[in-house]
Amino acid sequence: MPGGRVCAACGCSEIEVDAARGDAVCTGCGSVLEDNIIVSEVQFVENSGGGSSAVGQFVSLDGAGKTPTLGGGFHANLGKESRAQTLQNGKRQIHHLGNQLQLNQHCLDTAFNFFKMAVSKHLTRGRKMTHVIAACLYLVCRTEGTPHMLLDLSDLLQVNVYVLGKTFLLLARELCINAPAIDPCLYIPRFAHMLEFGDKNHEVSMTALRLLQRMKRDWMHTGRRPSGLCGAALLVAARMHDFRRTVKEVIRVVKVCESTLRKRLTEFEDTPTSQLTIDEFMKIDLEEECDPPSFTAGQKKLKIQQLQKALSKKLEDFEGEISSYQDEIEIELENSRPKAKGVFANFTKDDSIEDSTSSILGDEEAEDEELEAAANHLNKDFYNELHEKDRGKKNEDGECKNGNEAFVRPPALESLLGPLPTAASLGITESIKECISTKDQEPGESTGDGELDLSGIDDSEIDRYILNETEAQIKAELWMKENADYLKEQKEKEARIAKEKELGIYKEHKPKKSAKKREPIQASTAGEAIEKMLEQKKISSKINYNVLRDLNSKGSNTPKKEDDSTDDSTNTKKLSRRKSIASRNIANPVNSVGKRLRPLISTQLAKKAATEEVPFPNAQAEAPDSEKTAAVLVESGPVAYNADEEVEEEEIEEDDDHCMSALQLMGGNGKLGCCLNY
Amino acid sequence: MDADSEVALDILITNVVCVFRTRCHLNLRKIALEGANVIYKRDVGKVLMKLRKPRITATIWSSGKVICTGATSEEEAKLGARRLARSLQKLGFQVIFTDFKVVNVLAVCNMPFEIRLPEFTKSNRPHASYEPELHPAVCYRMKALRATLQIFSTGSVTVTG
Repeated sequence: MPGGRVCAACGCSEIEVDAARGDAVCTGCGSVLEDNIIVSEVQFVENSGGGSSAVGQFVSLDGAGKTPTLGGGFHANLGKESRAQTLQNGKRQIHHLGNQLQLNQHCLDTAFNFFKMAVSKHLTRGRKMTHVIAACLYLVCRTEGTPHMLLDLSDLLQVNVYVLGKTFLLLARELCINAPAIDPCLYIPRFAHMLEFGDKNHEVSMTALRLLQRMKRDWMHTGRRPSGLCGAALLVAARMHDFRRTVKEVIRVVKVCESTLRKRLTEFEDTPTSQLTIDEFMKIDLEEECDPPSFTAGQKKLKIQQLQKALSKKLEDFEGEISSYQDEIEIELENSRPKAKGVFANFTKDDSIEDSTSSILGDEEAEDEELEAAANHLNKDFYNELHEKDRGKKNEDGECKNGNEAFVRPPALESLLGPLPTAASLGITESIKECISTKDQEPGESTGDGELDLSGIDDSEIDRYILNETEAQIKAELWMKENADYLKEQKEKEARIAKEKELGIYKEHKPKKSAKKREPIQASTAGEAIEKMLEQKKISSKINYNVLRDLNSKGSNTPKKEDDSTDDSTNTKKLSRRKSIASRNIANPVNSVGKRLRPLISTQLAKKAATEEVPFPNAQAEAPDSEKTAAVLVESGPVAYNADEEVEEEEIEEDDDHCMSALQLMGGNGKLGCCLNY
Repeated sequence: MDADSEVALDILITNVVCVFRTRCHLNLRKIALEGANVIYKRDVGKVLMKLRKPRITATIWSSGKVICTGATSEEEAKLGARRLARSLQKLGFQVIFTDFKVVNVLAVCNMPFEIRLPEFTKSNRPHASYEPELHPAVCYRMKALRATLQIFSTGSVTVTG
């Protein structure tokens, strides 16, 4: 039925509508105007078996219009809009992932809705599609309350959990969806099942649930991974019901670290609930609640600090007594150990410097005086200790101090004075070592304090930052050694690039460069076209273009007539012929064409033969003489053609008497073919 | 909430991040060789220079952009940045100290009470987000001040922005 329409291409109004295929085709030029027409009539078509089937196609729910043709496979780029494509792709991925997670259809549909919302808000831009989809799925899991963890998704995708989490948080925020907080109780049935408790599964789960609730009341669950808590609860519940589940088994199921699990168990141990027996636990519920474990740890720290402060104060009280005793001891030691004079010298030096620094310290606020005094007496204390214990260490310190400045790492004044109260305990040796080693730097540090002008910047100190030549050399060597691997890689890369440049195949590899669209070859003659095509396609770098050019220039008379018909197909036909020489399909068209087109065919064949022969002699450098003669034949253009023509015509004429069998024809071609087939 | 009258909440600034430009191309190799306190990261293309006096670490790019981290106050950050520029000047580059800008300030504060995170999150829905699987703190974003607060259950609060 004519649609009353006019074809857009040729303007003719004769349009044929085929209901079976749902097409509208113009009979004038043959262009397809419409595809997949929706009609409201029902037609039946008879099958080969005699049965009849309705005519029509299935149209999908979403995805506008064009569907893949029946049996035509999946046409990804049928001209759909990008948006529809994205959505379809997303849907496919959601289903794929969702099936792996065993989510039901309702969840998958919800996830797809989230995805649609995300796409409309342009949240998929700049993010990997897989991440966005995983986030959508997890959002659904959260809202539905399914026992799926973000860890599961990241396991499936092999993506870092935190990356997924970031995407998920962003999605939840942008879509203004409030995901309800995860309750560890949700995970228990799942993990219990995986731990295989058999018949007692339910009982163990209930016990674990009670434990969890107890944990919640005891403030163990805030800020903790719910899976860790679950793991601990299940472990205890299993033990309570006489199931032996080792920590390792639980860890494999729950996916937390062993130390985490142990820590949870110890925390639970600290709660009063742990003191109850199993039966008691089932019946009684303690009323008091505990503080969260990190809070108690913080309290402990505070207590320790207070104790230390008290200690240091006491020390200061006794400072006077101690220093006098120490002076006496020092004198005695000096007398008794003459060997240590060398080392002593260092320390007497230190003493003098120390005095100067202490005077500097004294200039500052009154608060520091106490600490300064503490520093003094503590240092003296330390000297005594050192004298008695390690002389070797002292030597090291001396060397350290006098040696390379590059290795010195003095803390600021504040940090020096800061840890002194705690120096009373363990840190004393380290902090005072630092004191000794920094004596040089202190005069420099004290200036330039707190001034904001450029003048306040101490040039001398900055000068110290600049190494002299020898030091620079040493440093350069060190750096080279450390970064040897990277430097090697760079050198290899450069060498590779240099090589490629020599060969002339150097390509600059730019990341993520889209494939270039090939421009249509524009050439005035077939020869040029061939050259350009070969350059582009890079079929062989061994083609002697000169020969090709000669070929075409000499054979230009005959090919020109064919150029019209074969112009657009020179490239493709040449290629197809190249490819089909092996399969020898050419014989068939030759057959069908008939004698009248013999010269045409023969010249074409000759041309083809010629071009085939051209790469052939070039490709095999060590060709024997016969092939060389063939090459020679080719190069002397017209002779070759004529010879070929004559040869072929003769052969074909001979075969005229008998019926032309394909084989014989092929035999005619076969001679050439055989040569070329190596 | 009579915390103000009874307990003075001490809030400590622990980190100040700032950037400035030197308006001149810097030869990282030279800085790396002649500076005593530098780490040259060639694969990323930057030099880390650490200063002692205002305890800062600076990341220097060859384009002349410098990022300065680790200072404990804004003035200190400025001082440190200027010291850095001065030391670069000494090395021979024509350094001009421009575009100084404080980018991030991080502060820590402690509450004397503990906080229930799930309930807190529920009551502060759009601003607060809590993901126990990822991070043990609630992330509270205030768009007005462009600040992000991380609230832990022990009562310590970290403010950045």
